[in-house]
Amino acid sequence: MSWPLLPGDTYRDVVKAALADGWTFAGLHATADNGRPAVRALLSSPAGELRLESVDASGLTVPTIVDLAAAAGWDEREAHDLYGVGFNGHEPLRPLVDHDVALARFVTSIRGADPYQVAVGPVHAGVIESGHFRFHVVGDLILHVDARLFYKHRGLERAAEGLALADALPVVARACAGCWVTNAVAYAHACEELLGLAPVPELARARTILLELERVWNTLNDIGATCAGAGLAAGNNRFLALTDEARSLNARLTGHRFLFGSVRVGGSDLDLDAQETADAREALARIKRDSSRAWREILFNGSFMDRMPDIGVVDARAALALGVVGPAARAAGVPEDVRTVSPRLAYEGFEPAALRRQSGDVQARLEQRALELLPCLDVLDRLLAGPLRPAPTDATGQESLIGVGRVESPRGATTCIVERDGDRVGRLRLRTGSYANWPAVAYAAANNLLPDFPLINKSFELCYACVDR
Amino acid sequence: MLTLLRDLRKLRRTTALPAPDRGRSLALRHVDCGSCNGCEHELTLASGPTVDIGRYGLGIVASPRHADLLLVTGPVTTRMLDALLIAYEAMPEPRRVAALGNCAIGIGVLGTEDEIVGPVESVLPVDLRIPGCPPQPDEIAAALLALIDGGDA
Repeated sequence: MSWPLLPGDTYRDVVKAALADGWTFAGLHATADNGRPAVRALLSSPAGELRLESVDASGLTVPTIVDLAAAAGWDEREAHDLYGVGFNGHEPLRPLVDHDVALARFVTSIRGADPYQVAVGPVHAGVIESGHFRFHVVGDLILHVDARLFYKHRGLERAAEGLALADALPVVARACAGCWVTNAVAYAHACEELLGLAPVPELARARTILLELERVWNTLNDIGATCAGAGLAAGNNRFLALTDEARSLNARLTGHRFLFGSVRVGGSDLDLDAQETADAREALARIKRDSSRAWREILFNGSFMDRMPDIGVVDARAALALGVVGPAARAAGVPEDVRTVSPRLAYEGFEPAALRRQSGDVQARLEQRALELLPCLDVLDRLLAGPLRPAPTDATGQESLIGVGRVESPRGATTCIVERDGDRVGRLRLRTGSYANWPAVAYAAANNLLPDFPLINKSFELCYACVDR
Repeated sequence: MLTLLRDLRKLRRTTALPAPDRGRSLALRHVDCGSCNGCEHELTLASGPTVDIGRYGLGIVASPRHADLLLVTGPVTTRMLDALLIAYEAMPEPRRVAALGNCAIGIGVLGTEDEIVGPVESVLPVDLRIPGCPPQPDEIAAALLALIDGGDA
């Protein structure tokens, strides 16, 4: 991967041409290139190729690309708040991470006699992560939502910087418990690209098993959460029990219910004998049977299903413009899934499940999850067919200065970029599926009723922890 | 629907926790001060059908004004400090505070120094520490029950 430092105008032209050629925006971060301030935009092609376009930021201001790719909005705001880079043309450049600003600077001003604001959080009524929402409403109708996250900002990227490459993995992965494996594998892939290492097939298999085990419990949890969002306690409780079962299986296989500690840079220590993999397959078959049975019950619950259609719509056009990823994108008919372009993992021939009704509403996102559980369980059934042994990486002989790992989390594409400083982490950026999708939650809520927001929010079921980092 | 409810009935009371024969209760309010979301996931399951803390008189309430116990997760980020103190101030006396999970206790905290205030006990009087990364649903339930049994609240 090459990254000549471009002057501002060239950078904009290059990004514009790439987007016109079918590349999509995949992340942007501020960094230092040989001591010079720089901004790098990551672009991905439909075939999964990645390229970085870097712009010289030594003047502390670079041209914005937010007008070319709306998905860059949060990234540019973050680069401004944390690294002081200005983005020429991004107006107004609202604060995102910075909380030491007047309310008026982060809240959209809405004129007129009727609109009023409903402020919610950071502490919510249920067991929910901390974040603040400001709803601009007329009566019950939401005009606009300003989301203010980053209450949970722990400075994890900065904490990882300066650590030895192998030591930073637990710091990065703990950005969130829900996607521990995804974050860890994305980081490991980035480091292995830096070090010129490629996984042997058994290592790819071990990591794919862990990623799909993570997807199983998350998917069950997310279906339950949507039930909770509409007040269907029986559905919520049934899927909570299944989530518990899936996490117990994780603990039996790896010693941890959230699979913490199961991934490292350069290899895998996971050692499962034939009995253990057979037991896992049996447990997953049970989960498949019980979840299918519970899902059928939910589908035939008329009063619940009537709440689902036509609310919180993010259609294909909006999903593409906003850079939506994961089940939320696929529910709108955007067939992107990093698993189809992951040569470092064991997804040979994988095709994402496609709904017949790809309407991008709450119903489609709920049904997409239920549908995706099946290929996920199929992948696990195939990969757990025999014992799993510890496995190393092979040297490719091609070291690099910047490594990029891109992995499909239960919420969508998660990207980890690592810029090395010798054997240590120089700069690190983790852009998770939740980060990509938060702007879509605000978009989906507009023109809906305020009482529908919890349900719309739950249909995305995004994490705050890995956004705030 | 009947199938769902029948399945749920079978799932209930499969844990080894003591029988719900006590006549006390505890209203809980959760405040996330920068967790990785692991403690929240397990706390949610503690009120789910298998552990079901509700049967022991433990329930999560919507406001600190209705709470006996503040359940704090995370290493207390600088950005959550004010909200945590406001929630504590809103609680009626007598009130208790629990540090839920290793981060809240100050064990194995990850992050940058200037973004993190420190363990919960550095800002509030802590009555109960529930260790674990994250603590499991039945461990959360057992710790809370021990607080009711041992406490004089």
